[in-house]
Amino acid sequence: MLSGVAWDVEQVLGLAPDAAAAKAGQGQARVGKWSAAGCSERALWGLCQGSGKQPYQTMVELAGPAFRCSCPSRKFPCKHALGLMLLWSAGGLPADDEPEWVTSWLAERSSRAERSAERAEKKPGEVADPLAAQQRAARRADRVSAGMAELQSWLDDQIRRGLSGFDQRGYSELSRLAARMVDAQAPGVAGAVRRAAAVVGRGHGWPGELLEELSLIHLTVSAHDRLAELPPSLADTVQSRIGWTVETARVLAEGEKVEDDWLVLGRVIEPDDRLTVRRLWLRGASTGRLGLILNFAPAGRQLDPLPARPGEYVPGVLSYYPGALPMRALLTQTAPRTAAPRPSGLTPKQALAAYVESLAADPWNERWPLVLADVRPAVNGDGWALVDATGGLELLPGIDPWKLLAVSAGDPVTVAGEWNRAGFKPMTCWDGDRPVVLS
Amino acid sequence: MVSSALLGTERRPPHFEELPPAIQEQLGEGGLLDAAALATLYKRAGRQPLQELEPLPAAEGQDRPLPRPVAIRRLAAMLSGFQTAALGEWLRTAASKGWGLPPEHLPALADYARGRAEYRPLVVAAAGRRASWLADLNPEWRFLHEAVSDDPELWTHGNSIQRRSWFRLLRQHEPEVALEALKDVWPSEPAAARVEFLGLLSIGLSPADEEFLESALDDRSKEVRRAAAGLLARLPGSQYGERMAARVWSHLTVTQGLLAVSLPQRVTKAMERDGIDPEPHPGLGKRAWWFRQLVARAPLSTVEPEYLQYKVEGCSPEVLQVAWAEAAVRERSAEWARALLQAEAATENRIAELVRVLPEEEWAAATESLRSRIDLADLVGGLPVPWPAPLAVLVLDQLAKGGTARSWARLASIAARAVPFAVLNHPITREPTGEEDTWRSRLVETLIFRREMYEELS
Repeated sequence: MLSGVAWDVEQVLGLAPDAAAAKAGQGQARVGKWSAAGCSERALWGLCQGSGKQPYQTMVELAGPAFRCSCPSRKFPCKHALGLMLLWSAGGLPADDEPEWVTSWLAERSSRAERSAERAEKKPGEVADPLAAQQRAARRADRVSAGMAELQSWLDDQIRRGLSGFDQRGYSELSRLAARMVDAQAPGVAGAVRRAAAVVGRGHGWPGELLEELSLIHLTVSAHDRLAELPPSLADTVQSRIGWTVETARVLAEGEKVEDDWLVLGRVIEPDDRLTVRRLWLRGASTGRLGLILNFAPAGRQLDPLPARPGEYVPGVLSYYPGALPMRALLTQTAPRTAAPRPSGLTPKQALAAYVESLAADPWNERWPLVLADVRPAVNGDGWALVDATGGLELLPGIDPWKLLAVSAGDPVTVAGEWNRAGFKPMTCWDGDRPVVLS
Repeated sequence: MVSSALLGTERRPPHFEELPPAIQEQLGEGGLLDAAALATLYKRAGRQPLQELEPLPAAEGQDRPLPRPVAIRRLAAMLSGFQTAALGEWLRTAASKGWGLPPEHLPALADYARGRAEYRPLVVAAAGRRASWLADLNPEWRFLHEAVSDDPELWTHGNSIQRRSWFRLLRQHEPEVALEALKDVWPSEPAAARVEFLGLLSIGLSPADEEFLESALDDRSKEVRRAAAGLLARLPGSQYGERMAARVWSHLTVTQGLLAVSLPQRVTKAMERDGIDPEPHPGLGKRAWWFRQLVARAPLSTVEPEYLQYKVEGCSPEVLQVAWAEAAVRERSAEWARALLQAEAATENRIAELVRVLPEEEWAAATESLRSRIDLADLVGGLPVPWPAPLAVLVLDQLAKGGTARSWARLASIAARAVPFAVLNHPITREPTGEEDTWRSRLVETLIFRREMYEELS
């Protein structure tokens, strides 16, 4: 996070531990509530008169961010810290020299950080004992191979004996199999097996759907068998489908690098019982390259703030993860975010063709970012579609279409979204040149 | 292939010759799962865009310009639950300044107004050209059809909401034409609709409506008869008023500072037709009750405010005072309201309504003199907002002196919404309120919030 640039209100409120704190924080975001308040390049501070005799001392370190407040609230950050940040984001804090109580806190924090860094000692990605690491990798490769062999023989058995009756036993059997794949250190395959389990018994067409899912798992296993024969980039794709992760440090060091002004096409957040996943889709202004930034947070914890809002540029370098279809990447921001014009886009027909091209490179690819230009909403059975003269794409069933419909009012509109087989999920649309966040 | 997978390849070997040639070529010696993987990708890669879908028609008209981003952020904060009570004021102010609003906020606004009728016209105005367009798509937002249109098709073929707003609009601009339109459909309308349209005749009510209202006194429905009588009583110079006055004067004589009353013996058919309720009223003898109804429905022009000073014989003076208070509210007679308040007349809880009848510039003085008789919050709570500046200053001055005593909480929450823009800078907003959540801190927070809101929308 760049400390010199004020966050916007959405980013600050994203830090609130709950809705009540967000609301209370907005109540504190007023100049009159504070005395001796100010900000520097790296910190914000102020005194807030509470019910007690002594005013509360509130301070925020922007890198991080980190908070300290002398109030008794158990919420973290408390409403005072939020209020102070909101005030700052609205330009309501004067630049000033840090008072002593702030500098001493910051000094304490940085020395603590150094100590923990010393304890960690080694840099990420730098391996302490290369030989041991090699042995670990070899052991894992063996385990994965054994898991793949078990999976293949299970698949062959099912096909030989038939999937009928799977609506009774399929779910538990596939769940058991998914657990075996986790044991075999192949979490990617485990996920694919769980997705197949979710198909069983759903709607009339489930046997066909199940066969599709199983056939793509089979494709992974067969590809794993002949990993050495595959082109290196496709082998990387197969490995990532199986669940080998590439360390961040290696991606930053060795991954393909592309520098551009990255337009934030939008984000999709998928909350889960245990883990919240955020997919942030980017498109380079001059290269046209696409990028995907994944973020994870344990359930109930906040995701990192966005580097920019949908519809804005983040100048920076993307370091791509290896694979036949380079998409997932890490972002190194090089300058503050800026406003961006309405992006160019495709017709529905061109958009589908672009997705098909991605399938040729990575047959397992499920999601693809699309920008549709000048499409109009249409009723499509029980759902909705976006159409132009070349044809239409259905909207993902179950999403809330009303913001998009209200913006369009029947006029052609530019929409960025995430495409998968079930439909198009709008993320951002443009009302004239003004980006509107839809998800 | 699917049936072979279901039954098992042992029992039913797959027939790959049915697959497209391109797949067969790739398949070679592969088995069922290989064929399925090829077919899956073949199918996914061959997906075509949907065809023959008709795009929705575009909503016609122009959009208004958007206010500054800070104003829009405040709107979003209100929609997410912060100071939501100021939402109506934001919408009204933005509309009066000619601002539109970002269309992506309309769904949340429409949902908010769905169960809150008072917000509906504001949201309809804010939605502009999108109002009817969205109402057509989402049955839950049908009320957005109130978007005003003078298309006569709406009157003959529209739904009840469209017909009501069509009629209201016409009544505002051409009341007599609206009356003719109502007469055309009157016999075929159900009683509930007759009551509703009759209610709308209060807009632009004039002697031209009298004949129609007189005939409605003979309606089949009691609700319609009552509504018609209520309107006739508000019509100056009507035959209805003359009938009532004649009845009053047959029971009342004035002689040198004395009002002599002989209470009526019964309610005649003609009186019942004019809306007099023969059923007894709690706390009042039934003859006094009948008399009170007659006086309350007679025009005030036939009596004099000096009568309030006269002695009364034949019934309690309060019967007359309450009746005149009711008449003063109905006729919005400032003269009578002033006289009744000065005389400290009995009003059956109509003091606030009587103050409301006074000209705005008298509200502050009336409040000052009445506050010993009636709770300040009761008195000003019924006045339309925003208040005139002197009244707002008077109330805020009082609250500023009130410390944090809990008894002021209700007045503070009324004042928070009622203080006009010109007084939002009152000194109370610059005094420290302390950290705790008191009526005082909430009041100051709301006043400042509203002040910033007006500044942003200016």
